Amino acid sequence: MIDLSVSFNGIELKNPVILASGVWDLPYTEIIDFNELGGVVYKSVSLRPREGNPPPRLTETPCGVINSIGLANKGVDSFNKEILPRLKKFDTAIFVNIFGETIEEFSRISQMIVDVSGIEVNISCPNVRKGGVSFGREPETAFQVTKAVCENSDLPVIVKLTPAASNIVEVAEACLKAGASAVTAVNTFQGLAIDIESGEPLFKNVVGGVSGPAIKPQALYNVYQISRNLEVPIIGSGGITNFKDVLEYFIAGATAIQLGSAIFNNPLAPIEIIDNIIKYMKDNGYRNLKELRKYIDE
Amino acid sequence: MNSFRILPVIENRVLGPYNLIRIEDEDMHQQAKCGHFVMVGITTSIDPFLLRPFSFLSIEEDSFTLLIKARGRGTEKLSKVKEGEKLKILGPLGEPIKPPERGVLIAGGIGIAPLYYQSQWMNQGILFYGAKKESALVLKEEIKERGFIVNTITEDREGKVTDLVSENLDLLKGEKIFICGPESMIKELKDIIGDYAKEAFVYMERRMGCGLGGCKSCAVKTDSGYKYVCQEGPIFSLSEVKVD
Repeated sequence: MIDLSVSFNGIELKNPVILASGVWDLPYTEIIDFNELGGVVYKSVSLRPREGNPPPRLTETPCGVINSIGLANKGVDSFNKEILPRLKKFDTAIFVNIFGETIEEFSRISQMIVDVSGIEVNISCPNVRKGGVSFGREPETAFQVTKAVCENSDLPVIVKLTPAASNIVEVAEACLKAGASAVTAVNTFQGLAIDIESGEPLFKNVVGGVSGPAIKPQALYNVYQISRNLEVPIIGSGGITNFKDVLEYFIAGATAIQLGSAIFNNPLAPIEIIDNIIKYMKDNGYRNLKELRKYIDE
Repeated sequence: MNSFRILPVIENRVLGPYNLIRIEDEDMHQQAKCGHFVMVGITTSIDPFLLRPFSFLSIEEDSFTLLIKARGRGTEKLSKVKEGEKLKILGPLGEPIKPPERGVLIAGGIGIAPLYYQSQWMNQGILFYGAKKESALVLKEEIKERGFIVNTITEDREGKVTDLVSENLDLLKGEKIFICGPESMIKELKDIIGDYAKEAFVYMERRMGCGLGGCKSCAVKTDSGYKYVCQEGPIFSLSEVKVD
């Protein structure tokens, strides 16, 4: 019997594969069996509904995607009333990504989120004018936001970091000092898409967030830097599409991983990855992730 | 019910400027309704990374057919698939409609695809159909055989489909109208049709990430805020959509 469970700082997952924020909503439960997943992070909710950015909001880049969604969502009340009860039916850890334009907003949302496995704090979205990446660039602002969330919630707090941080290790350290249980590394990379017909940036907001295999080496390096300099559980994220990518993230120091854009390319990727991790462990005689990790750490 | 499957191509033939790609599937005819679409991708590829949304052209008991125009990285590759090659298929997706027994269809270019599919449920109607050139006016004879009066126009000689509609506005009176074509055509039709349409509907197209309401990419601006092509569409009321 293979044991894929992982636990860290109050977070318990039956396996290390988590569906990332921003790529899925309830209709995906018809395609992916959520009972098989280690966890899911529901896409950013804010205090009030947000319309999101004007279209176009998405384009493709070789082996990846650039988005400018702008955190379109129906707000925290809608999450609690309409979404959470339907997610609770699944045997998986439910996290919710929260977004505020101000520290005060983060505090208020944190009070309104209960009955989930943890909160993921978004200080890393490149597609909004206020908040987002502007909180995640410097250790001081990252500290303030994380502290506000931790002070207003009893739940484990995960901070989703941006690769645009001035120094991602220092930002991760600040989050840890403020009370974070773990960090997700990393959110999308800032990128630009140009429309050669109009001669202008494709997105009205100019900058977009790049994700997919195109950013895997860069994201992986961020994970490596944090893990080599800091004792903090890392949820690795960025460009993972198969179980070999997952092993690379484990080797770089991740405790668990998130799958995001991968499900656009193959909606069954999360399930296939879990199956392949099990097969790999069976083939190599590992009974649990600690044994696998020990091998990796040596 | 949404589903994701790997299915083989059984035919890829050229039709005017397009490719007609038939995919083997015994289930789709029981699942799909008018207005549904599918997301399609090359099986082993992470480049192009995204699946692409396509309307159905037709659905048979053992297969379904898509009309594809090679105009970007994804459609270039898809238009070259060979018989036996397998594709990733997600769907049917979107919010289907119950087509009326009669009505007016207005197609621009490859916009003919979903309207051709829709026409099979209709007993009679009128088609206004414009394309760049004569060879691109595919399937017009087949629609005629379904009992439609077909009015065509080509840009290289006569003008645009919007001109054709302007000249025949009286034919639109009291009819249900279904439109599919480029955004510029939709914008012009919004002005031209005005009050003539009892009810006018438009098939909208957007760059799409997931097709399942997850990524919020396929936003269409409407009178009541943004709506999403993959969940609330692809068919919207013409009066509600705002096109630039």
